[in-house]
Amino acid sequence: MLVVRAIQKTDLDGLMYLATQVGDGMTTLKPDTTMLANRIDVACKSFAETIPPEQRDYLFVLEDTANGRIAGVSAIKSAVGLEEPFYNYRIGTLVHSSKELNVYSRMDTLYLSNDLTGCAELCSLFLHPDYRNGYNGKLLSKCRFLFIAQFPHLFNEKLIAELRGFQHPDGSSPFWDNLGRHFFKMDFDRADDLSSLGKKSFIAELMPRHPLYVAYLPKEAQEVIGVVHTATQPARHLLEQEGMYYEGFVDIFDAGPVLQARVKDLRAVRDSELVQVSVSDTPVQGATAPTLVANTSIHNYRIIVSEIASEHGAIVLTKEQASALQCPANGQVRVVPLNIA
Amino acid sequence: MFIVRPVEARDIAPLTELASGLTQGVHTMARTPAAIERAVEQSIRSFASQTDVAGEESYLFVLENSDDHNLIGSAAIAAMAGSKGTFFSFRNDVIQQVSRDLNISHSVHALTLCADLTSYSQLLSFFVRRGHHSRPEASLLSRARLLYAACMPGRFADNFFVSLAGHTDANGRSPFWEALGRKFFQMDFLQAESLVHGARNRNLIVELMPHYPVYVPLLNGEAQASMGQVHQESEVPFQILSKEGFAADDFIDIFDGGPILEANKNALHTFKNALKLQVGASSSDPDPGSAQALVTYMIAPVRETEFRVISLQSAVLGPGQPVLLSEQQRRALNVATGDTIMCVPW
Repeated sequence: MLVVRAIQKTDLDGLMYLATQVGDGMTTLKPDTTMLANRIDVACKSFAETIPPEQRDYLFVLEDTANGRIAGVSAIKSAVGLEEPFYNYRIGTLVHSSKELNVYSRMDTLYLSNDLTGCAELCSLFLHPDYRNGYNGKLLSKCRFLFIAQFPHLFNEKLIAELRGFQHPDGSSPFWDNLGRHFFKMDFDRADDLSSLGKKSFIAELMPRHPLYVAYLPKEAQEVIGVVHTATQPARHLLEQEGMYYEGFVDIFDAGPVLQARVKDLRAVRDSELVQVSVSDTPVQGATAPTLVANTSIHNYRIIVSEIASEHGAIVLTKEQASALQCPANGQVRVVPLNIA
Repeated sequence: MFIVRPVEARDIAPLTELASGLTQGVHTMARTPAAIERAVEQSIRSFASQTDVAGEESYLFVLENSDDHNLIGSAAIAAMAGSKGTFFSFRNDVIQQVSRDLNISHSVHALTLCADLTSYSQLLSFFVRRGHHSRPEASLLSRARLLYAACMPGRFADNFFVSLAGHTDANGRSPFWEALGRKFFQMDFLQAESLVHGARNRNLIVELMPHYPVYVPLLNGEAQASMGQVHQESEVPFQILSKEGFAADDFIDIFDGGPILEANKNALHTFKNALKLQVGASSSDPDPGSAQALVTYMIAPVRETEFRVISLQSAVLGPGQPVLLSEQQRRALNVATGDTIMCVPW
């Protein structure tokens, strides 16, 4: 059975293996043992609540309990941009108008902004190809919303997710090629690499500081602003269903959209509930819609998908499920339907 | 003999005829009879004004063939480009982008809408008939304006500029305009030029043009290539003024990206080399056939009224030396022995 749980120190090898499978395009999960060990260390301290909330980085792993294999990872960073500036382009509007000439031009502009500073960020989602089936992908992504719903006091009011922007099949980015490249004289992968090494702010130092009129860009670059990579389309859909939306912030390199939401507006925060657990050996008849079920411990956070819906403020779990959740027999769990009704 | 003089009321008709040869989007001279009349009247008022600070004055000169009194061209100088409204141009800026941590540093060329030229004096409305373009009289006409300024420095600013027509194709399409101005004006270059009458001191410019720097690398190649490129019909004034000491590095036109040449007066040949001398006794008639090498000068009487400029072949003139003029030249300038004249070597 598959369970998502808070990462532990012993997961370094499993995480390192996953990182080697990621390939290019994911800036926050590079196969670098030192970096990953540091990240796990911060994550363990985060779940242990021994560091201040704004420094926390909650890392979740998907474990296959049958073989102990780490099959996926996802994360929530508590706050972006507090150690070094976090940059985005904000799409703004400037109107140029002359009554005398009867001309009215409404122009989209790109403003280099730090507006999202302090927001919590969903990041580092990766599921091993062997496990891309069933509910695994949804579990790995959505576990974070239920975590936030259980511990809302740990999060700032806003949550964001940066999505990978449009690229051609050869990996080139029309936005980068027509904007960033002019200011860097290096290719996208190299710039993106530097950004993953925590040098994004240095790169932003090289970007144009003044607002840019979108109309200056060639059509092919204009058209991909706020457009996700084809492979990221399902992820975007999933996040939007959870209550996140695009509000005109894009990545400064590839113009991929930043989705955002107020924590209180997240579906999991609005619709999840705490229910009583009862454990039964006999399979319950009339299994219903898949449900995310999470325990209420931050130190030992665990979450699974169960096809047994909760009813009247209670849920029946199998022994295996209860043990996967490490939830006491009469304890409480937080539940929310996996899918939107 | 070619003579440059201030425009007079009787010139309105010939100027109107002259204006029929103008190319739209290239020449800044007035073209309609009403506009020509206004320009002539303003010039007459300007020459007659008693002023010691640059203001709204605009001085219009004509080039005349004194043999047949034909008008060959006209040229103007405005005391202050922005006297009736801020004069806008694009300044060539270099934005230095530095990341010490990445050990990367490079400069980005940007254009910034600016009002820097507002208080400059502006040369404009230069036009000569076909056939006279590459001849000395074209240069005489263009530079006569600066000689007037050298004679009457109090009427002008210390800095001068001229905006020359930029590159356009046979259909009047400007690649620079297509990449920039069109996005804000939503119309063709020639249409915009005709709406603003070629002016760059209109309020609507600040309403419509970008206030933030335009990063040049973002403009398409054709637009970038046309920046600072002079229209072929403005090649002659470009040569004349470059030789005079004007430089085209810092500013370009906001519409067509054409070069704006500017200079401090101390950098200009006419100001630097002007000699104030006196007309020599008429008894000592010049003898062009003498053994001494002859040099060409541009000369003009230093006086408030009846300004005149002609060219003169003379032996090299030094400080304090009398200038020997023929009877015809004295008549053309309306000067007598002992009058002060300004002489600038060609």
